[in-house]
Amino acid sequence: MEIELEGIVVVVGNYGSGKTEVAINLAVERKKAGFDVRVADLDLVNPYFRTREARSLLAGLDIDLVLPPEDMLHADLPLLSPLVAGMIRKPSQVTIIDVGGNDAGATVLSALAEAFGGKQYHMLQVINPLRPNTDTIAGCLNIRGQIEAAARMSINGLIGNANLIDETTPADIYRGVEFVQRLSKESALALRFVTVADELLPEIDMERMACPVLTIYRQLVPPWKKARVPQHQFNGGK
Amino acid sequence: MGKVLMKGNEAIGEAAIRAGCLNYFAYPITPQSEVAEYLSRRLPEVGGLFLQGESEVAVSYMILGAAAAGERVFTTSSSPGISLMSEGISYIAGMQLPAVFVNIMRGGPGLGGILPSQADYLQATKGIGHGDFRLLVMAPASVQEAAEMTMKAFPLAEKYRNPVMILGDGLIGQMMEPVEFHDNLKTKPVDKNGWATNGMDTRGSSQRNLIRSLYLDPEVLNRHNLELKAKYDRMQQEEIRFEAVNIDSDYKVLIVSYGTMSRVCRTAVDQLKAEGLEVGMIRPQTVFPFPEEAVGNAAAGKSCRAVASIEMSMGQMLEDVQRSVKGRQPVHWFGKCGGEVPTPEEVIEFVRSLAR
Repeated sequence: MEIELEGIVVVVGNYGSGKTEVAINLAVERKKAGFDVRVADLDLVNPYFRTREARSLLAGLDIDLVLPPEDMLHADLPLLSPLVAGMIRKPSQVTIIDVGGNDAGATVLSALAEAFGGKQYHMLQVINPLRPNTDTIAGCLNIRGQIEAAARMSINGLIGNANLIDETTPADIYRGVEFVQRLSKESALALRFVTVADELLPEIDMERMACPVLTIYRQLVPPWKKARVPQHQFNGGK
Repeated sequence: MGKVLMKGNEAIGEAAIRAGCLNYFAYPITPQSEVAEYLSRRLPEVGGLFLQGESEVAVSYMILGAAAAGERVFTTSSSPGISLMSEGISYIAGMQLPAVFVNIMRGGPGLGGILPSQADYLQATKGIGHGDFRLLVMAPASVQEAAEMTMKAFPLAEKYRNPVMILGDGLIGQMMEPVEFHDNLKTKPVDKNGWATNGMDTRGSSQRNLIRSLYLDPEVLNRHNLELKAKYDRMQQEEIRFEAVNIDSDYKVLIVSYGTMSRVCRTAVDQLKAEGLEVGMIRPQTVFPFPEEAVGNAAAGKSCRAVASIEMSMGQMLEDVQRSVKGRQPVHWFGKCGGEVPTPEEVIEFVRSLAR
């Protein structure tokens, strides 16, 4: 099953759910599927491991990344570039907005209400059931409510991102798929795709995945590890 | 409960609860604010209390008060905040109160930056604040170890009636790794009725307990200092912890490294081994007391030609390594500061230059 996503994609979720890793990899996948892609790093609350860590990868693939000014990249300040509102007003074929965690991180979206005015968007909640607070359906719905209230926008889809980083097993993946499918049923939110790390992919029985799969080539790694090199097949232009 | 994926900061918060500590006072500062964020949600669920102080100075005295009342209590901060707390920590050490302080270090001096650093090594290990005292200082190298050390810190603080510090760098606080909480690390608080100001009615005693750090009689204060010294000497005997890596090999170079930096060095050691160069490593898990004997013995290994202190500071641990090696080998320093973390390649190049 292929991922089908175009237009504005707002990636939200609780702290550490994997939003940024998903946003970067989705951007690469969409680019290689032939779309023009822009990404905005809207994480104003997290000090480390942000989209900006992948800027050379994205630049190399000609994916435009909107960041705060270079000299402010490590500032402990919530900087919102006016370019973000601009890219929402005039979106590319795929415009990915990587938002910070929880309601605190999503609050910034309410400041962009005017730019979003009347526009269609996908607002997708990233779920890792192996994280505290989103290990139950009630927990996920609770986070959803808090994010929607802070953002003054509605979540309309789900991304399953079950993982324990290097220690993820195929069983974790299958259980994660079942979990987000149940959440999708109870919340009436469409499950857009689930993720699997490229190193684990050969061990996964794709027949058991009843939804599209985004391969994650991990980019946000600690200094003693190397980021993975994305190997998506290029589909040609669309 | 199986493994969960947690940020170091969250795991430290959860570990404190699992250790039976329900009192947390703190003031937010990057890169450790997630501890407060996590505990502000989690502590009310378990009947605990998080109170944000007006400043780190206020927090240090909130810790003092709760510890004096016999409660398990802890705080977390980052470098500039720990400096502000150092006055309170000195009083807590002088009053012989058990409390746990977590420093998730960032670049300095002054406000410095918000990225990971190990620049507070000397501050933590040589007696933070005024007066003549030490902290027991543990340095985790993973989220799992941060959780375990946090759980162990509370009984250790009670054993010595002394503040214990967890010395992590920003990356230990910010990175995510799978973690499991072990119930066998749960401990019951010791009986504190002999000294705690927890109320005569509470402990059913007609004896007043007095907690103080003021000793005007020099003879009495000297005795007090000797009593404190005896505790630090006992820590040297009983609490040293370290990990030895590739120490059974014919290593030519010995690395001493801790925390995040040791993870990078570990990658370098593995890579160099694959290339045919044996390198040993001692990773201190306690930095006070420092594993002096282990480092000294490893440096005396028959094939060892050089020792390197590799740290995210400008040669702070180097002094402890030199003291341990006692001139038997040249001791070199390699490191970066301010938020830069040396890469495995940079460590490899440096170690190769020593082996030549």
